[in-house]
Order: sequence, then C-alpha cells, then structure tokens
Amino acid sequence: MKTWSIFPILLLVVGGGLTALADDVKTYAAHGLVQRISDDRRAVTIQHDAIPGYMMGMTMQFPVKDTNDLAGIGAGDEINFTLAVSETESWVQGLHLLAHHVSEVTNNTYVFHADSAELQPGDLLPDGTLRSESGATFHFSDFQGQAVAFTFFFTRCPLPDYCPRMNRNFAAARQILLSDAHAPTNWQFLSISFDPEYDQPEVLSSYAPFYRGGDGRHWLFVTASLDTLRNLAPRLDLMVVHQGASISHNLRTVVLDTQGRITSQFDGNAWTPEQLADALRHAARTNTP
Amino acid sequence: MSNPAEPRQRNDERLIFGVAVIAAVIFGLGYLGLVLALNHREKAPLLPGPTDEAVPLTPDHARQLVDFSLTDRTGRTVTRTDLAGNYLVVDFLFTSCSLTCPVVNHHMAEIQQLTTNQPDVKLLSLTVDPRDDTTAVLSSYGLKFGADTNRWWLLTGDKSVLYHLIGTTFLNADLDDPFTYMPGNFSHTERIALVDGHGNVRAYFDGLSENVAGAVVDEIGRLRR
Repeated sequence: MKTWSIFPILLLVVGGGLTALADDVKTYAAHGLVQRISDDRRAVTIQHDAIPGYMMGMTMQFPVKDTNDLAGIGAGDEINFTLAVSETESWVQGLHLLAHHVSEVTNNTYVFHADSAELQPGDLLPDGTLRSESGATFHFSDFQGQAVAFTFFFTRCPLPDYCPRMNRNFAAARQILLSDAHAPTNWQFLSISFDPEYDQPEVLSSYAPFYRGGDGRHWLFVTASLDTLRNLAPRLDLMVVHQGASISHNLRTVVLDTQGRITSQFDGNAWTPEQLADALRHAARTNTP
Repeated sequence: MSNPAEPRQRNDERLIFGVAVIAAVIFGLGYLGLVLALNHREKAPLLPGPTDEAVPLTPDHARQLVDFSLTDRTGRTVTRTDLAGNYLVVDFLFTSCSLTCPVVNHHMAEIQQLTTNQPDVKLLSLTVDPRDDTTAVLSSYGLKFGADTNRWWLLTGDKSVLYHLIGTTFLNADLDDPFTYMPGNFSHTERIALVDGHGNVRAYFDGLSENVAGAVVDEIGRLRR
C-alpha cells in the first residue's frame, strides 16, 4: 500500500526530470533588422546588435520553429526578438515588429497593356481555335461572309439564369430569324464552352439537342481552346475562374459582321432574343457584296 | 502462523516497487517523447492559394497602396487619402461570380462584424468587372452582404484605374494560371489583403478559408502591438 502511494510522485519526478533535461533552453533578448525571409519561411536573416552574454553583433541566418512568428514581418523591418539556444540547436522566436521601413518599398508598377484592352464596336475579333461537336477544329475566320453571334457557357453550369438563359435566348432568337421569310440567311450562332477539359465533343453533342431540338441549322456548340480563351478573355472583358469542378464567370455575348468585325455586344443576362435577332439582321447586311 | 508469510509479502512489495519504477521510467520516456514530438511537429508549408489554415502570407515584395480615385456604391468618390491611417481589409470580386466571391464576401461580412469596435478598420471590395458592376449593381450586392456604407466600401470606376491599383498594390498577373482567364490575367483573386495605416500591404489571406475572419482580426491585433 505504501509503495503504491509513492507511485504518482515517482511518475512526476522521473517524467519531470527527463523533460527538464530536454527543455534546458536559454533565451536571450535581441534587436535587429530583418534582411531576408527564406522562401519556405523556416529561416530569417537578421542583422542584429550584440546579444549580451552570448554573441557580438553580426548578420546571420536563424532557423524559425514556428512560422507564425513571421506573420506580418518582412525584409527591412526593425524587430525585437528572442534567441533561443538549447544543447543541440538554436532558433529565433517572439519576433516583434518595431518599425516597417517604407524606404524598402519597391512597387512594381503594373501596366494594363493597351493591346490586351477591350475590343470596341468596329474592331476586328482576333482569330481563335474552336472545336466542334464532331471534334473538328475550326476558326472564327471560317465564317467569313456570315454574321456570327457567339456567347459563352459550360455544360455543367448549374444556375438557370446564367448559361442556360444564354442558350434559351439563342434558341428563341434563332427561331425568330428562321421563321422570318425576309430575314437574311447568312448568319451563324456559336455557343462556346470555356470548359474544354470536360466539354468533350460527345458531351456537347448530347447537350446541344436540349436547346436546339432536332434542327441543327445555324447553331453550333463548340469549345474554345485554352489559348483562345487566354487571348480572348481580356479583349472581350470575359472572366472565367475555375474552382474545382465548377466555374465562376460573367456573361458576354458578341455579334460580328460578315468581315469578323464586332458590331454589338450584350453584357449580362438582361438582353432579349428580339434584340439579338435585330443585331444579327443588321450585321448580316453589313458589307455583304 | 503469520511469520512465514512475511518474507513473501516483502518480496511482493519489492516486486511491485520494481514494476512501479519501470512504469515511471517508461511513462517519463513517453512523456519526453511526446514533448519532443510536439516541439518538432512539422508545420504546414505556406503555399499560395486555397489552404485549410488561415495563415497570413507575407507579400512577395514590399507593396504600397498607390494613388487612386474610385466611386463607391453610394456614388461617393473615394481616394487613397480618404483611407490614410486606417487598416484596410481588401478583397476582389465580380458580382456575377457565383462560387468564390460569395464565400469571400461572406467572410468580409464576418470581419466587419468582428471589428465593429475598431473604427479604424475599413473594408474595401474592388470589382474586376466595372463594365457590369456599376454603382447600382454594387449597391444591391453590398446590401446582400450587410455591408455598412460607412465602413465597407464597394468600389468601381475607370477600368484602368482599378486595374492599376489591383495589379500594382495587390495581385500578380500570371499568364500561366490554368484556372483564371480574365483581363489583367490576375491570379489569386480569392485572396484578402491587409493594408496598414501607412499604406503598406502587410499580409495576404486565403479568402476561402473558413477561419479567415479570425485570422485577419488576429493579424490586425498583432500589427497594433
């Protein structure tokens, strides 16, 4: 019974003793200028003053154990910090910002390049590569002589007032033109997917009939190559942000005349099929020989 | 009758004592191991982009808020000078963005809530799509997230001014980013940036991280010390 009563004390003594051996760390208060933080944030180079009782002033790299210690601290900052030294290693901790040296700021001025700025009505659309429902490759320039209306979508689009509304409007506008005996016939609709990885030809060809019915005239479902997207997005003010299996995007619908020049653009989802049909009638008659 | 039993009892006691010592040593070594393991635990590396941990990322180079003049959703003109002396919590949005932006702005609303007693903390949302995001559009977007018109400004204006501000002060352009296609080719539009009262960008956060609001508020507290 007596033996068991000292067991907890024994545990504490042995456990505590061994822990004390491991935790024999001396700490020194120090002051200096941050020269550099390593890319992996596990080391910081500090030009430090003399550390009384330990070392003279010098510039050296110190390991950082807790990378959170570096939060808000960058090159050029004046700091107080603690140098910790154990039997086997040393590191810095408790970095405390004293002053942020604004003179170190080197703003890289960002220039919004004019040649990637938005296209205006009258501007020629830069050509781009598209892939059809049958897997064939073609280009905007292949539609010379026809007015073209194109919009962007992706088949996995879950929101009814976004991509599906674009394709519903295309369906209605196409119906208006097809049923108007006086309408021009040199026009083409393109629904362009910006999800080429998922929207393979077979995905497009099973998706298209939902909007197009059995009548494929004047309306192609295609995907844009990523290069084409990279080139066109800045020119058309199109925004496409992939996030996991889905995509955040804005809505841009563009009408080209028979020469590939932009005649009108419809932003967002508030435009009507009648407006688009009228824009195509106008564009198809522009510059026809 | 009791005498013969005594030596055996003493033996038992020694045995128990021995076991106790061994158990204590094992416990001590285990505890030591645990302490060492905790001390040397690997921290998650600081990778750019969405992370589970809402850790502040230091800018890749020192950046300062550039001069600008933009319009908030009430039609008021807002310039760099108007914001001097404030901590600025900044995010980037386009209102038709259905996935990332609502999450980030929900976190902005949390930050607004957590800093109601810190009047020098202001929130700034910069649209990357000024063609769609007019003051009227931003006004209803702000209402949706409960943005306080005196503390959380949703700014629009001239595209070149917006893009100069975003590109110079906040985000990098990356032509090779396989996920983002937009004017300016900005990367990491899901980030939240923290600017101090002197206009220095002090930290970036993953705006999609669940814990980002607390991390931003903690970092402001750390900068105040």
